[in-house]
Amino acid sequence: MKNINLRFILIIITGFFYSVASFANNSLGEWKPQIVEKMYLLPPKHLNKVLNNDFNKSILALNLQTADNKIKDRIEKISELNSMLKGASKNEALEIKHQIIINKRDYIKDMSNLLTMKRQKLDTKKSFFQKIQKNIRNTSLNRKTNSEFLNNKKNALKRAESIDFKILDSTSHSLSKTSKYFKQYQLNKNAVKKLKLAIQKHPMSNKNILSKDPKNKMEAVKNYVHNIDTEISVLEMKEEMINYMAKIVALDAMSLAEEVAFDAQNQNEIVSTNYNDPVNVISVFTN
Amino acid sequence: MLNLIKNLTVILSFIICSQANANSIDTLERERAKTLNLILDKSISIGERKKRLEISKMRLLDLERMTINDKNINKNPNHRTIKAFKNFDLTFLVHSSLEKEKPISVIWLEKIGFTTENLMSTRVTRK
Repeated sequence: MKNINLRFILIIITGFFYSVASFANNSLGEWKPQIVEKMYLLPPKHLNKVLNNDFNKSILALNLQTADNKIKDRIEKISELNSMLKGASKNEALEIKHQIIINKRDYIKDMSNLLTMKRQKLDTKKSFFQKIQKNIRNTSLNRKTNSEFLNNKKNALKRAESIDFKILDSTSHSLSKTSKYFKQYQLNKNAVKKLKLAIQKHPMSNKNILSKDPKNKMEAVKNYVHNIDTEISVLEMKEEMINYMAKIVALDAMSLAEEVAFDAQNQNEIVSTNYNDPVNVISVFTN
Repeated sequence: MLNLIKNLTVILSFIICSQANANSIDTLERERAKTLNLILDKSISIGERKKRLEISKMRLLDLERMTINDKNINKNPNHRTIKAFKNFDLTFLVHSSLEKEKPISVIWLEKIGFTTENLMSTRVTRK
């Protein structure tokens, strides 16, 4: 019975954490890259562009933009309040300081959300590139195991292509006997040759030479992952900064509370006189 | 009733398993075997053989081209496929004969070891 209770409690607790986590995730928005598998063949630079475009269409990007605008507004409001502080009376100054602290608190909240969203973006991007790394590794492993066969096949293709003209010569006298495939093959082969030439001449083709080699592609993807890692560590530093900012705001709030309390005490001392002390009521009796 | 279901299951599984999953190498191999059979067939005349070989050659050429250009066999090639590409001259007889400018029969006989030199160097002995 005890065990059942314990299991029941565990299920409730894990369920609670799960719901909290999913709630947090939904509130900040999500980004699941909608990239087709064929896109993995793209050179890393283009892949990065496609990935960024995909991100820009996501809810997370929209939320990030909204949070960014909110933060800008808060900063503007805080600086405006700071400028108002100079010419304000004591009571007004207290109210302005109060507003400044509230805005600073909201700024920290928004900034923290923004950093979480940025972190989410970088984490998704990192896992995407890691997946590509895994794909490249698997492909190169397959290539290694099949390398002998692929070499033989490549040689066969070369040998076959080199005697294409001989085949044409030998069949020219009996073209009527050739099959439909034979005629189509010749036509398509010529078209493919033309297209290959066009690809070779294309200016972008030369730029992609680096990305065609799996080793270079791997290196480029590794660089992207490294850059993402550095961005994540910078974000961590910013998170630490936000923690310190929060501490300062808390201290400011405490000092303002003390200031208000001190003023109230002073005011009380002025307004209300302690009549329980006979010294304070002497005037009543002497006049 | 139970027996009927059992029989149906066996028949269905047999049909499903026996569905031809033709590989381009297998088709090529079948046509190659037919051509070689034709070369070795003594029951037909020389003229008939030449005529039929011409047709067979064209079909074999198409199948060889299809196999060489088939990209599907690159993924997980089986033992037969690997061996076929290892022995280009023996597998792609028409291509090889055009490349070396020799008849298919000569190419095949040479590759399996029946060269004129080999035959000339043999002598009849009694064991």
